[in-house]
Amino acid sequence: MSIRPILSALLRNKTGAILVAVQIALTLAVVVNSIYIIVQRIEKIGRPTGIDENNIFMVNTQNYARNFPFEATIREDLAYLNGLPGVVAATTINAIPLSGGGSSTAYFNAPGGKGEGVPGNYFEVTERGIDALGAHLSSGRGFSAAVIRPPVQRTSEFVPEIIVTRDVAKQLFPDTEPLGKTVYSQLSQPARIVGIIDHMHGSWTGWDKVGNVVLHPVTSCCNRISYLVRTKPGDRDRLMPIVEAKLVRTSGRVVNSVRTLSFYKDRSYSDDRNMAIFLSVVIVLLVAIASLGIFGLATFNVQSRTKQIGTRRAIGARRRDIVQYFLVENWLITTSGIVGGCVLALAVGYWLSVHFELPRLDLYYLVGGVFGLWLVGQLATLLPARRASRVPPAVATRTV
Amino acid sequence: MLSYNLRLAFASYRRNPTLTGLVASAIAIGIAVCTITLTLYHALSNNPIWWKNDQLYAVTIDSWDPERPDNDKHPERPPPQLTYKDALALLKSDIPMRKVAMFKSTRVLDSGKADVKVKRMDTRVTTGDFFRAFDVPFLYGGPWGAAADQGPEPVVVISKEVNEKTFGGINSVGRTVRLDDRDFRIIGVLDTWQPAPTYYDLNNGSLENPEDIYIPFAWGEALELESAGNTNCWKSEQINTFKDFTNSECVWIQFWAEFSSKADHNRFQSWLDGYAKDQKKLGRFPRPLNNHLYNVDEWLDFNEVVTKDNRVLVGLAFMFLAVCVVNTVGLLLAKFLSAASLSGLRRALGASRRDIFQQHLVEVIVLGLAGGLLGLIFSALGLWGLRLMFASDFDQYASLTHMDPTMMGAAILLSLLAGIAAGLYPAWRIGRIQPATYLKTQ
Amino acid sequence: MLDMQGIAKIFRTDLIETHALRNFDLKVEAGEFVAVTGPSGSGKTTFLNIAGLLETFEHGTYRLDDQDVSRISDDQRSRLRNEKIGFIFQSFNLIPDLNIYDNVDVPLRYRRLSASDRHTRITSALDIVGLASRMKHIPAQLSGGQQQRVAIARALAGDPKFLLADEPTGNLDSLMARQVMDLLEEINRMGTTIIMVTHDPDLARRAHRNVQIIDGQVTDYKPYEGPYEPSAIIGVTGERASG
Repeated sequence: MSIRPILSALLRNKTGAILVAVQIALTLAVVVNSIYIIVQRIEKIGRPTGIDENNIFMVNTQNYARNFPFEATIREDLAYLNGLPGVVAATTINAIPLSGGGSSTAYFNAPGGKGEGVPGNYFEVTERGIDALGAHLSSGRGFSAAVIRPPVQRTSEFVPEIIVTRDVAKQLFPDTEPLGKTVYSQLSQPARIVGIIDHMHGSWTGWDKVGNVVLHPVTSCCNRISYLVRTKPGDRDRLMPIVEAKLVRTSGRVVNSVRTLSFYKDRSYSDDRNMAIFLSVVIVLLVAIASLGIFGLATFNVQSRTKQIGTRRAIGARRRDIVQYFLVENWLITTSGIVGGCVLALAVGYWLSVHFELPRLDLYYLVGGVFGLWLVGQLATLLPARRASRVPPAVATRTV
Repeated sequence: MLSYNLRLAFASYRRNPTLTGLVASAIAIGIAVCTITLTLYHALSNNPIWWKNDQLYAVTIDSWDPERPDNDKHPERPPPQLTYKDALALLKSDIPMRKVAMFKSTRVLDSGKADVKVKRMDTRVTTGDFFRAFDVPFLYGGPWGAAADQGPEPVVVISKEVNEKTFGGINSVGRTVRLDDRDFRIIGVLDTWQPAPTYYDLNNGSLENPEDIYIPFAWGEALELESAGNTNCWKSEQINTFKDFTNSECVWIQFWAEFSSKADHNRFQSWLDGYAKDQKKLGRFPRPLNNHLYNVDEWLDFNEVVTKDNRVLVGLAFMFLAVCVVNTVGLLLAKFLSAASLSGLRRALGASRRDIFQQHLVEVIVLGLAGGLLGLIFSALGLWGLRLMFASDFDQYASLTHMDPTMMGAAILLSLLAGIAAGLYPAWRIGRIQPATYLKTQ
Repeated sequence: MLDMQGIAKIFRTDLIETHALRNFDLKVEAGEFVAVTGPSGSGKTTFLNIAGLLETFEHGTYRLDDQDVSRISDDQRSRLRNEKIGFIFQSFNLIPDLNIYDNVDVPLRYRRLSASDRHTRITSALDIVGLASRMKHIPAQLSGGQQQRVAIARALAGDPKFLLADEPTGNLDSLMARQVMDLLEEINRMGTTIIMVTHDPDLARRAHRNVQIIDGQVTDYKPYEGPYEPSAIIGVTGERASG
């Protein structure tokens, strides 16, 4: 159908069209950027952690009795846990992966502690550590029992061996094979890399180096003793209350919490998830309101142009010609809004990327948004357009 | 005239209830989205102790690494915490009216009651000035004095929640409880206290619950208590004992000072700089002199409590409101123009343009207010939903319990402005029409 | 051209049944200029709507240009209205947001003609009514008489078999009314059949034949007197925009 006359008529009666176009422009800008942010957050949350996060739970205990027998208790607890049917492996650990709480230090590829070193989020684990985490060793081996440091409150001693993630290895030894190499603490204490983990996330999910994880062969101790327990699939929830009931019986200590690793992960990502949820709600509401605006304008146009519609029908328009007229008119309005909206969306995207360090907006989202809004606009106009087509031609001859 | 216009407004609503409902809802939803994001923003940017903004200061000293700053993104900033020995040194100054040195730890509480489980308590290890400095309210008893800090005396202040769970809410002052392996005497029970954000210590989050119990600062060293907050060390030092730790350059102590006058504030700054210079002579503080006192507003800024996400949300929320307003303009135009013949008739009967304009403006303002009230209800529902989703599980947003009167007032004001913004053009347009145009049968 | 026999149009509500037309017969031959008169409420408008295929009817038959159009679909009716009938309404019914050129263009767009074909038809129609110079103006910028002439041009542009005029001068002053009537007579002389509904007896007198509708039925009182020869084409002078 001819666009030019529809455009001419539209230009002579711009107000309603401008209002809708502005709504569409703003809607496009907000929706496109919001969807982009949502997708990023979902991707961030969905990153592989390198550990068997769905089958791990944490036991956090705190002892208060004077002269609490750490070593014996840890030995007993670990024997119990590792012997429990359904448990793959259990280890003491100094911090909870993905929880936002942990320790890090700097590692150097030469003695002397020069420069910044490579930051590593370290976890103190026993010889069962790799199995308990469910981490995948791409080369080398786990720790042997002999090398694990027995529990001690505080020491500045370094460890003889470490296992690192490939990220750390690459940062320390970018050009050479890292396995077997010696790494130094800030005090120039040496440690040999005996194993390399493919990939593992540490404590701080918001850190750009979250993949920098190092394992230390240490029995973590002493006021707070935490265990990381990995179960066979399906056994986790069943075993948690059993373990709690058993460990609670030891006197001189409290079991603070027995929680799944997923709990800590969800908590760490709750800001991201909330953002995604909130933005999703905003998007839905926004599209609903914009559709309402389009629907309202179309209905209003139909109502105020009843005489015109009747006349067009009288001089030969079929029902579908009338429907087409309104759909085309809406398409023109939506498109003008979209043009402005594209500029606005890109501007907002650029501003977000500069001020809030979000990556620059991907154009696919813009294209998707454009087509989405075209569709929404046409759908919202459909009902009023159909109603318009039902205006009887006899309306043309009415004089009231 | 106003009451007449009000009557006309309500008649107009009745004539077209769907359209009226849509207009009010559009405004309401826009207001609700804005209010919720603003409430969040407000909670985080709130200064819960704004009346002490000129007196209360976080104290920082740049004891950090000469090779690199503590904060890469803001290299001009000193580390936010002090070393243990610096904290002790600062406690010796008598310039501030009140001095608070503190850190977070954990202790296991055994109340001695058979029916109450032995439980771990989040513990604040602090000097006694904490309570007066931060205006913490007491239900029973009071804080400990300088003597208790000196001892240290085995005294403890417990929170209202702990008191209720352990003792059923009675006045438990004077009772003895066991913290780990030592007896402590309860000398105070706090009243409800949930500052949002927890400005005094932001290491573990900004909207968390405050600690469960409070014990004198000197117990930290006496009992070699481990910090449950943030510990940062830059220097390669051999740390084998707790003594090594307290002597090291590791920062883990929060320090606040309250001054009774601006003069004292300035005096302390000079004293601080003098102390730093002395330490430099001893080989410490290799970085340039950079000791800062931050008031609570500045401290919240420093710690970036308001996240980037919050800001983005507020921006998007206002764009959303803009769409709602533009949408409302369209709806109102349609509403007014479809009843234009009535206005035409009134004009024919003698109403001036201003009369018509005022009549419609009143209609719009009332509608805006209605939208605002509806928006408040939506906001309350939304915030309740947020709390339901997060607070129960994660103890975050714990203090986001309700919209305070400021936010409610802001929401109503916003809805009023939105209503006027939306209605101005349609009301003016309808006033402009020639009476004849709409009286003629179309 | 137009042959209605036994037409009945019944309006039904819950309580009342109104027979707007009952047993209505009318025959109009090509080239005639017929005026249909009658008091208000007599069924003139109903007749107009049925003749113009704007409404359906309950009983009877209607043959238009030798085609039975009694029970055809809505789309077919639209097509016939577009190709065979030219409407002229009392209140002109021009589209206010379009200029004169586009207004005359409207019915042609529904016929899918080429742009040049439409342009030729529009310009010659506007020439006939003497408003070619005002092509870019919008209706609000013209007088009532000029607007009605544009409406006539719109009706003519599609080469209709007959014009159906509903009180064409009802909203015009006597000077403009006379000019419009002159134009209609001229068009009729050029060969176009015209059926005009009016309540004004002076206007009715200018037609060749009068048909009166009373209570939904026809009374002829100026009988048909044989075929009319089209006279020589006389150019129509333009008019000043004098309101």
